[in-house]
Amino acid sequence: MCIDSQMLSEYLDNELSEPYKTQVEEHLSHCAACRKLLETMSETDSDIKSLSVDESIIDKNKDGLYSLLDKKLFEGGKKVGFFRRKIAVSVPALATSAAAVVFIFIGGYMLFGTSPSQTGDILPSFSVQADSSNVRFVSSEAEGSLDDYTLEEILQYLDSKGYQVDISIKGIQPLE
Amino acid sequence: MEIKSTDRDNFKLIYQQNYQTIMQVIVHIVYNLEIAQDLTQETFIKFYQKNMTFKSEDEAKYWLLKVAKNLALNHVRRNKREDAMIEKVKNVPGSGIVDEDVASNIIDSEEKRELKKALDSLPDKLREVMLLKLYGGLNYKGMSEVLGTSEANIKVRVFRARKELEKYLSREESDVY
Repeated sequence: MCIDSQMLSEYLDNELSEPYKTQVEEHLSHCAACRKLLETMSETDSDIKSLSVDESIIDKNKDGLYSLLDKKLFEGGKKVGFFRRKIAVSVPALATSAAAVVFIFIGGYMLFGTSPSQTGDILPSFSVQADSSNVRFVSSEAEGSLDDYTLEEILQYLDSKGYQVDISIKGIQPLE
Repeated sequence: MEIKSTDRDNFKLIYQQNYQTIMQVIVHIVYNLEIAQDLTQETFIKFYQKNMTFKSEDEAKYWLLKVAKNLALNHVRRNKREDAMIEKVKNVPGSGIVDEDVASNIIDSEEKRELKKALDSLPDKLREVMLLKLYGGLNYKGMSEVLGTSEANIKVRVFRARKELEKYLSREESDVY
C-alpha cells in the first residue's frame, strides 16, 4: 500500500518525525509512483520559489530605509521640545487630583473660616449681632385670644359697649 | 536573546535579520516594489511603537511577519475594492488584476506569469502558508506562530496548497496518466 500523499508533503518539508520518516524512506526506495509524486511536489515548490525577487533588487533600499528609520525613531525622539511633548494623564489620576483640589479648597474654609476682621476691609460684614436688643420673641407680640380673659371681664367689656348679653348653659332649663 | 523593540541595537539587529524576508513576503502579495518598501517601513515603525519585549529573536520575527502579511493583504483588499468601484463607475468590465504590469521586474517571463497566476489563484489561507514557507523560510512551528493556528492545521494547509497549485499547473497525476 502506498503512502498517504499528505505524509509525503510532510516528509518533503522535513517535518515528519520517526519512525514514520524511516518508513517513508523505505517505501520510496522501491515505489516509483510515490517517488514521482514527491518529485512533482518538490518541483512545484521550487517553481514557486523561483518567483523570489532578486536579492539585489530587494536590498537596494535596505540601508536607506534603515537610516531613515533610525533617524526617525531614535534621534527624532530627543528633539521633542518641552511644549510639544505629549502629556498623557489617565482618567483616574485626573479625577483624584481634581478631588484633592476641591478637598483642599473646602478644607481651608472649614479650618480657618472667614472672619470679619480678615474680610471686613474688602467686604461689608455679614455677621449677625445676636444680643437682646436685636432679638425679639415673635410669640409675645401675638394678639391675645379670648382665653386670656375671664367670663366676667368679657361680660363687663360687652356691657360697657352697650350690648345686652344673655347667657345660658346648653341642655339646662332655667327653673320656673 | 531577549529583544526589546525600542532598544536601538536590538532594533538594528532585528532589522538586518528580517528585512529581506519581510520584503519577499510582502512583494509576493502586492507585486509592487515601492508599495512593498512602504509597507516594510510601516511594519518596522509598528514594531518600534508597540514597545514590546520578545523572548527571542524568532518571536520578534514571527511578530513582524504577522504584521507585514496583514498589512499587505489589507492593502490588496482595499485596492481591489477601489478598483471594483472604479470599474463600476467607468462601466468597463474586468480590466484585470491590479499591479499586473507594475511587477514587470519580478515577473519577466511567460512561465513566471503562469506561476504567479497559480499562486494568486490560491485562497488567502493557503497562499499565506506557501508565502511564509517559500519566501519566509519558516517551518511548520514558525508558521503556526505567525498565523495563530496549530501545527496540524499548517500541515493540512501546506498539503492542500500544493495540491491546488499542481491542479492549476496541470501537474496532477490524473492529468499525467
